[in-house]
Amino acid sequence: MKKIIVTLVFALMPALIFAQSAFDKYDGQDDVTSVIVNKKMFQMMGNVKNKESQQYLNLIKKLDNLKVFTTSSTRVSTDMKATAEKYIKSAGLEELMRINDKGQNVKIMVKSGAGATQVRELLMFIEGAGKENETVLLSLTGDFDLNDISMLTEKMNLPGGADLKKAAKNAK
Amino acid sequence: MKRLSALALLCIVLVSCNSEPTLQKYFVEKTEEKNFVAVDVSPSMFNIDKSKLTVEEFQAIETLEKINILAFPVTDSTRAQYEAERANVDAIIKSKKYQELMHFGSGKDGASVSFVGEENSIDEFVLYAKSDKNGFAVVRIIGTDMNPTAVVTIMSVLKDTNMNLEQLKPLQDMFNKNL
Repeated sequence: MKKIIVTLVFALMPALIFAQSAFDKYDGQDDVTSVIVNKKMFQMMGNVKNKESQQYLNLIKKLDNLKVFTTSSTRVSTDMKATAEKYIKSAGLEELMRINDKGQNVKIMVKSGAGATQVRELLMFIEGAGKENETVLLSLTGDFDLNDISMLTEKMNLPGGADLKKAAKNAK
Repeated sequence: MKRLSALALLCIVLVSCNSEPTLQKYFVEKTEEKNFVAVDVSPSMFNIDKSKLTVEEFQAIETLEKINILAFPVTDSTRAQYEAERANVDAIIKSKKYQELMHFGSGKDGASVSFVGEENSIDEFVLYAKSDKNGFAVVRIIGTDMNPTAVVTIMSVLKDTNMNLEQLKPLQDMFNKNL
């Protein structure tokens, strides 16, 4: 009996670790700047009564996790790209749009939810961002409307906000 | 005063039941140690003109008990100790008691925000910032049943007060020194 449990634990371990996130390994690396916002934070922010619009607060409550990893190291960039591509395939993300502009390469992928603009996960991968030619990987999970997201990126000053706005318009 | 001593007793009881290291313990241990800078701030220090507060603001301030700050400014001679202490704090912050709200940074530099308690009755807010160049600082905002709205309100009230910054001077020096 004990053996079976041990085997089961080992068998499920990779799944558990993977379910946590494919990108967590970048958190805390020396040449990666990361921003992680947890569900609790979103819930709290959504409960704060202040001047923010109701639309914004409603959106906030629907979010689970925000992860942004930024790096200017070529080695990590390559690794990040490979991980992202692998993840896109395994998690069944669809490409929402792709932009090539002045050496900046932006890819936005989504995992669709119930409606046409409902999204369970949004993954943005930017190469050649900013002056230092940075690579940015942004992952946002929850159950939200694509139209609301551009509002969020504007408020939080996240990268790729303008591109997302375009994406939301095209998806309509 | 009675309430405070009851609370202190409760803390002692809770801590003694719990073998896990907590920031509470860590603060007590390290406050007296040299190389550490400790600052305790009580709400009375903020010079808040209570007559000017709204009811909401007043209630929010009432839930706040004190703010404890513990910092370790790093110098060449304390580098080794810094690494050890930073690892200690890292481990404490990662324990289950402290629910993380968010964190950012890279490797040895960064900051995080965590809390203790329930979502709508927060006992303690923990801000933790570290920088390989300057050192680290842990800020504990302690209260009873604080809610997120109250915390935001407290922040905005504090911004408007002319806080007695004299006591925070050692901290300022620490961060100015290396800039």
